Amino acid sequence: MSSPLLYAKNLSTGYHSGGRKIVVSAGLPELEIDRGRMICLLGANGSGKSTLLRTLAGLQPALGGTVAVGGATHLSPADLARRISLVLTDRVVGTNLDVYSLVVLGRYPWSGWLGGLDAADRSAVGRAMDAAGIMDLQHRKVHTLSDGESQKVMLARALAQDTPLLMLDEPTAHLDLPSRIRLMRLLHTLTREMNKGILLSTHELDLALQVADELWLLQSGGVLHKGAPEDMVLEGAFEAAFAGEDVVFDRATGVFRIHPEGGPAIRLEGDGTLAFWTRRALQREGFTVIREETADRVVRIIEEKSAPRWVLETAGASRSYTSIGALLRELK
Amino acid sequence: MNCSIRKLSLTGLLLLLVLACVLDISAGAVRIPLHDIFRILFSRAPAADASWSFIVDKIRLPKAITAILAGCGLSVGGLQMQTLFRNPLADPGVLGITAGASLGVAAVMLTGGSMTTIYAIKELGPSGSWLIACAACVGAGMAMLLVLVLSGRLRDNVMMLIIGLMIGSVTLALISIWQYFSNPDEVKDYLLWTFGSLGGVTGKQLSILGLIVGVGLIAAWLSSKMLDALLLGENYARSMGLTVRRARTIIVCTTSLLAGVITAFCGPIGFIGIAVPHLARLCFNTSSHRILIPACCLIGAILLLLCDCISQWPGTQAVLPINIITSLVGAPLVILLLVRRRNLSINAYR
Amino acid sequence: MFRFLFILVLLFPAGCRQPSTAKPADRPVGVVDTIHYAHGFFIVRYPGYRDVGIIDRRAGRADTLHFLLVEQGVAPPADRSGLPVIVTPVKSMVVLSSMHVAMAEFAGVADRITGLGSIQYVYSPIVRAGIRAGKVKQVGIDAGINNEAVISLHPDLVLTMSNPQAGAGAYKTLADAGIPVIPDADWLETSPLGRAEWVRLWGALVDKDAMVNKKFDSLVQSYQRLAAIGSQASPKPTVITDMPFKGTWYVPAGESFMAQFLRDAGADYHWSDTKGTGSLPLSFEAVAPIALKADFWLNQGLVDSRADVGAKDSRFASFKSFQTGNLYNYNRRINDLGSNDYWESGSMHPDLILADLIRILHPGLLPQDSLYCYKQLK
Repeated sequence: MSSPLLYAKNLSTGYHSGGRKIVVSAGLPELEIDRGRMICLLGANGSGKSTLLRTLAGLQPALGGTVAVGGATHLSPADLARRISLVLTDRVVGTNLDVYSLVVLGRYPWSGWLGGLDAADRSAVGRAMDAAGIMDLQHRKVHTLSDGESQKVMLARALAQDTPLLMLDEPTAHLDLPSRIRLMRLLHTLTREMNKGILLSTHELDLALQVADELWLLQSGGVLHKGAPEDMVLEGAFEAAFAGEDVVFDRATGVFRIHPEGGPAIRLEGDGTLAFWTRRALQREGFTVIREETADRVVRIIEEKSAPRWVLETAGASRSYTSIGALLRELK
Repeated sequence: MNCSIRKLSLTGLLLLLVLACVLDISAGAVRIPLHDIFRILFSRAPAADASWSFIVDKIRLPKAITAILAGCGLSVGGLQMQTLFRNPLADPGVLGITAGASLGVAAVMLTGGSMTTIYAIKELGPSGSWLIACAACVGAGMAMLLVLVLSGRLRDNVMMLIIGLMIGSVTLALISIWQYFSNPDEVKDYLLWTFGSLGGVTGKQLSILGLIVGVGLIAAWLSSKMLDALLLGENYARSMGLTVRRARTIIVCTTSLLAGVITAFCGPIGFIGIAVPHLARLCFNTSSHRILIPACCLIGAILLLLCDCISQWPGTQAVLPINIITSLVGAPLVILLLVRRRNLSINAYR
Repeated sequence: MFRFLFILVLLFPAGCRQPSTAKPADRPVGVVDTIHYAHGFFIVRYPGYRDVGIIDRRAGRADTLHFLLVEQGVAPPADRSGLPVIVTPVKSMVVLSSMHVAMAEFAGVADRITGLGSIQYVYSPIVRAGIRAGKVKQVGIDAGINNEAVISLHPDLVLTMSNPQAGAGAYKTLADAGIPVIPDADWLETSPLGRAEWVRLWGALVDKDAMVNKKFDSLVQSYQRLAAIGSQASPKPTVITDMPFKGTWYVPAGESFMAQFLRDAGADYHWSDTKGTGSLPLSFEAVAPIALKADFWLNQGLVDSRADVGAKDSRFASFKSFQTGNLYNYNRRINDLGSNDYWESGSMHPDLILADLIRILHPGLLPQDSLYCYKQLK
């Protein structure tokens, strides 16, 4: 088996400041990125995601440990650029830069002495723009692009660099929900169709759970858990990662709960979509929703033809509502 | 894609350059008929007035060539600085190079009152205006060296920008102290130097100016790929395989060489370095340095030639300092650009 | 032609500042010193004291600064209280310009200088000896003046070279400290003799009027004798002066000292008829047609040899004067510190400068003698 696209061992990340080492994460486990794999790097703000990503990409030196790219350590910047391409959070604002010229810059490690392009370069640029779906943007100036367009253009530039490994630092930030989903789907497709290895850092837990082949969960303090997304959920990695903080990971639904538990108990009877959304509404109002019969208040969902009803039973009394909103008004 | 527009711009600018050259050579305190000028320039035949040949050959032609060289060098230096620092207001002055050159000149001119100093330096070889040029080169070189040494310890271009500005202000403060304690005649000479002038470069000096500016321009053009990569910022540049520190050294050296030698021979000339790169981007609608560098040369040369024409306003015997004209012409130009094409500069800093 | 200034006329504006308590009619009639060339001051003698007025002629104002020079042991005139009083003869003084040093030398009182604007630029051997002996201190000039240093010297008088218009200005602190500050505006005069004539003021300050006036009168005679020879001389050679710097050539305007010198020395000076007392900023090429053909080139400034001139700008080699070697600079008298006596005693001895110029431009017209301030650049 050929060596992985990227392999890191005993890695410590951080930076030098005023002659002192500031360690962000130390003693990380073995990290490996293979062809065709999509890896999402998760972690709270300040946990060191960007530092790890930049260290792996060679933008900043590791404080300890080794990073091997395609089996080789200590690659020259030019060689590294032919193996790893990046999409960063840095805003690109180049004066007077148009989209096509920006994507062409991706050919930097391959192009000639003065930056001249040959046929192979041109076709790589064409393929990259096609893959990123920005053919219609190519004559636009960079500063006129929306955030979503801009992100796709930067992706196209990275693709034009034609590297086996692609790293993206929070590519979904600043994007609206549909754009986020489209981008994640596009990246997923790239791993499957172009057999690229992709590492991206993100805060989108739900999207990451859906598309990633592997998750790296970085906790502040430098502890990193990794594994297939589903395994990580079942192992309780997320609860552990965020233990002690005032956020709660709901293993059943795979999302973080906004509203803390601990309010008065209420029993919910019912199933399916109606039960899911009713539960969400009750949780928002501060109730702890349970299935057991210990609660003195019960909400029962009755599905009659197309019009559902919500029945609230409290101490013998029973009232019926036709919407969740009406139910909540009563409960307040 | 924009090829035809670019060719049109190029032809237009080349034509304009020739026109500006002719205009500059025909303008001056002494009225010389155009056909006499051409006869002097091309046939070497004696002119109707013997002093005309002297004026055209020894005064106007060297001045026009100096204007072209200085125009090219300063605008390319400005372009490099704007790209390196990703700041639309950068020019060769931001590195403290101009200030360094000024310090060198001040050192010679203001201590010059004690003739012994001048005689002592003369023993070493340079004399006359060479002395000033050498002093300016040494001053510019020292400022550049300081910036380079400090930049080796920095990862950030913005830090370098700040350090350059600090070096500049320290240098200017030193000069002010010097001026304060010098006798008025020397201060006057120094002030005259700071006004800038294209008319003081002749003969061997002109050859040296031409040689160094030529080398600088070629080096700048060869580094255009690096400059392109730097458009996306240092991180992206690094990710594309650029060794940022080395690139920065090359670019700073080239700019220092260009700005240093021009300041040495012509004095500080402002605004060309800021205004011309913006004009070039506007004319050629591109960000590729392979095109922008020659474009800057063309536009810079034309602009400085025209400024020189204005400085010897027809009908007057006097000549206004070139630095005043470039500021008078340059500042409104930059304002006009900002108002009409906001995107050119505002966004670059967002 | 001589320009006579009838100082009596100026007495009327002088009355403007008189305190209204006194009746001018009660005062004895003053005797006005005759001043031929200078426009910037006057001296009126009264029994026991002299009234010196410094006039700001350039500003065109009738605003005159008065100083009372009161003889030692005489009470200041009661009707003129409020005016600065200087007790004569002045025993110690702080001076700020080279010209002051030259005038002190002329009046024979250079040893009374205790403070100088800058001790770096002095030629006078007497003052230099004083500096070496630590008897003369540096005090700085204008805004850079060290008031504490001046006050600690306890001078009887400070002579500044500021514009009378500026009034006390930078020197207000000194005036407040009771030290009389006279703005010696000799540099505003428009003729060499006018400038030198300010030495009469020195005569009054040190009570040596008779000697100084006599010496000055003989200087004037000598100048006029030379000017008569020079201006009659023919043919008149063409002359250019100074050196272009960075493409601009500052040439003396028609009403400047230098133009006056050149006319008196019998030179053909191209800009002799231009207006202005300063210099004209011309472009190199405006001067070039004249410079190419000029017979003589004077006052190149900070150069010491023909090679230096050539090194400044290779184009100078095309000048006729350069080719014939007729390059003369005023740097014969430069001491080891770099002070040029041309600016010091040269300003006080226009007759010697004129003689130099005539000897240069019209060899043989004067008896053979070495030049005073000028030197041929070889």
